[in-house]
Amino acid sequence: MTDAPPPAPLGRHDRPSGEAGAAAPGGDGGAPQQPASPVTAATVTTHPLSFTGQAGEYFRIWIVNTALTVVTLGLYLPWARVRQRRYFYGHTWLDGQNFDYTARPAALLRAYLLVGAFFLAYSLALNLQFSGWEYVAGVIAAAYLLLYPWLVMKSLRFLAASTTHRGLAFRHHGRPGGSYLAYGVGNVAAALSAGLALPWGWFMQRRYQVEHAAYGTARATFRGDVGDFYLIGLTGLAVGVGGGLLLGAPLVAALAVALGGADLPLPDLGSSGLTLALVAGAYLLVLGLYAVAWQYVRAATLRLVLNHVEVGGVVRTGATFRPWTLVWIGVSNAVVQALTLGLATPWAAVRRARYVTQGIQVRALVPLGSFCADVAPGENALGEAATELLDINLGF
Amino acid sequence: MTGPVSPSPIRLTGTAFDGRSSRRHDATLEVSGSCVTLRLDGEGGAETETHWTLEQVGIEPPIPGVPRVLRFPGGARFETRDDAAVTALEARDGRNRALGGVRRLEARWWTALGALGVTLALVAAFVVFGIPALARGAAAATPRAVLATFDRETREFLEQGGYLAPTRLSQARQAELRAAFRQVTREAGGQGYTYRLLLRDGEPQGAPLQLGANAFALPGGTVVMTDQLVALARSDRELVGVLAHEVGHVTGRHGLAGVYQGLGLTLLTVAVTGDLISAGTFAAAVPATLLRNGYSRAAETAADEVAGAYLMRAYGTTRPLRAVLARLETGDRDARENSVEESSAAEKLLQTHPGTADRIEHLREIEARGR
Repeated sequence: MTDAPPPAPLGRHDRPSGEAGAAAPGGDGGAPQQPASPVTAATVTTHPLSFTGQAGEYFRIWIVNTALTVVTLGLYLPWARVRQRRYFYGHTWLDGQNFDYTARPAALLRAYLLVGAFFLAYSLALNLQFSGWEYVAGVIAAAYLLLYPWLVMKSLRFLAASTTHRGLAFRHHGRPGGSYLAYGVGNVAAALSAGLALPWGWFMQRRYQVEHAAYGTARATFRGDVGDFYLIGLTGLAVGVGGGLLLGAPLVAALAVALGGADLPLPDLGSSGLTLALVAGAYLLVLGLYAVAWQYVRAATLRLVLNHVEVGGVVRTGATFRPWTLVWIGVSNAVVQALTLGLATPWAAVRRARYVTQGIQVRALVPLGSFCADVAPGENALGEAATELLDINLGF
Repeated sequence: MTGPVSPSPIRLTGTAFDGRSSRRHDATLEVSGSCVTLRLDGEGGAETETHWTLEQVGIEPPIPGVPRVLRFPGGARFETRDDAAVTALEARDGRNRALGGVRRLEARWWTALGALGVTLALVAAFVVFGIPALARGAAAATPRAVLATFDRETREFLEQGGYLAPTRLSQARQAELRAAFRQVTREAGGQGYTYRLLLRDGEPQGAPLQLGANAFALPGGTVVMTDQLVALARSDRELVGVLAHEVGHVTGRHGLAGVYQGLGLTLLTVAVTGDLISAGTFAAAVPATLLRNGYSRAAETAADEVAGAYLMRAYGTTRPLRAVLARLETGDRDARENSVEESSAAEKLLQTHPGTADRIEHLREIEARGR
């Protein structure tokens, strides 16, 4: 990868602290202000990220907060989420400073209650089928689908505004139009084209996420190409299909033999343990291949995006973690979590965070202390709550 | 009026950010009474000093292993490793009491394991007692109008979907069975249900699923019995036993309780895992299915209790129901109740009904009790 000089102005920023903060208003690549002196030799400093969280320590936080959530019938959930997230942000270090998650739990609680109320109404309508239930469930489902891109936008804005590093908040300048293009048109096109447009959708979505992100006044840009996403999608597909053919063929053969012996069209599951085992094996195989392919797409996308982000023309992020190692971590984490009935969840989260974080670097042409604040608007937590509770997949 | 003796000032060293740039400053913070002074070291020994009152300063709750953070109006931020001093300040000012307590719980292994025990115990108690009780309560409180809607919608679904077709039984036979059903509902049916017996063909041409020899109750009092079941029975006493069992489901409101129990399990999974998607994943679906089957096995046993009691009153024996159960299990018109095999432990977990052998045994016990 070449490190061609970025288009935006470079340079050291030796102006005194604080008062010189009248930043360039908005604009593209709103880099830290150009100093009066001419551009000096640009030196690239590489800052590795590090993660200092401990599985045991996080287990205690996780279980205590889970217990409090259960005892309070879920009302404590926002506090638990903020605390767990602050642990991960607070243990992620860059150039001697950690990140912080600054969302207010009380704001999240209001949004959780709102989203939860709609979900409860939807579930009751589907389960009870009282008179007029079709309208209640239909209206809620339609509203959710129509609002989905808008909720993604709200969530990105809230998440960015709630993330702080070195006393400056991140921001997301996403507008509804871009979100409806990336998440609305992108997903509909992917569905209509039987998945052919799916990588294009991923590209649009990641670009939307990165291009509107900002640290203080410094806007991020995304230099990735849609072709890279097709490569990732095809690799994922090849893994799923190839693995299915390779591992599935012997299983199908064995199943055919087992079924051929029985007289009934449907096997008697109670008496034929072998058939049951084969069906379970096929089910687990499909589940496993899907998990592997999906984990690969996620890991490779994360690496691709991190390798193509530029902030304010003076900072680039880079990732050296290996997608296949991340796939192994993801799959083995899931197995261990299932075997421990979820008790290994904190260990799994710390394990993944440590590997990902230690494979990320930030290369900067200026000291990281030379960014300026932007006017930070308040962002409400509704989108965040929807993302959290309804699992809108943001990909990061 | 004299003020209280002001406590000794607290002095902290750390780093600060002014909230306008990402530049790091070495800083000291001094709290004297309710007056807070933040001193930032600037370029070449220059120092800026800012004053706030303690109420203006936010103290972020502690996170293990992470520097403590104080937040000031305008976005300034002070970070320090001096946790003891910040904790003392919190204690003096009464801040973060609840989350400070959470931190103490998180700090020790024995409290964390205690939290684990509490979580498991509460979840288990809620699953075993809470959900069935809540579901029963909700089912009992559900208005009759909703029950009637349930019956109508289910019936329309089954008939329009081609699962059921008009009965092939003669008018006289139908009248006999209706009379027997009226007898059962009069004596075991409770108050306020609109009972009706639907006799239907359970194996119509082109049905998506053959119901075969079957009988089931809808929450409002509609009981469906198929011609195939009528054909399988050797006497009307056996059919009376089945009808009494279905009436037990109606009076126990088992159908509706089952719906509420499924909903409760979903919501519980959400509460514990913290998101909705986990509630739908495979790992969560297996325990949820086992629990649901456990609940419906309990409902079957309760309905058998009602049927057994009715049969004892009417005929002094539970034999007719046992006989028809055995025949339903084997699908063989000549089967006997002793020919039914015990299911294995794993099979029992996966069944929605108790094993037929268990049910026959239960009915024998009812007969023994009734003598």
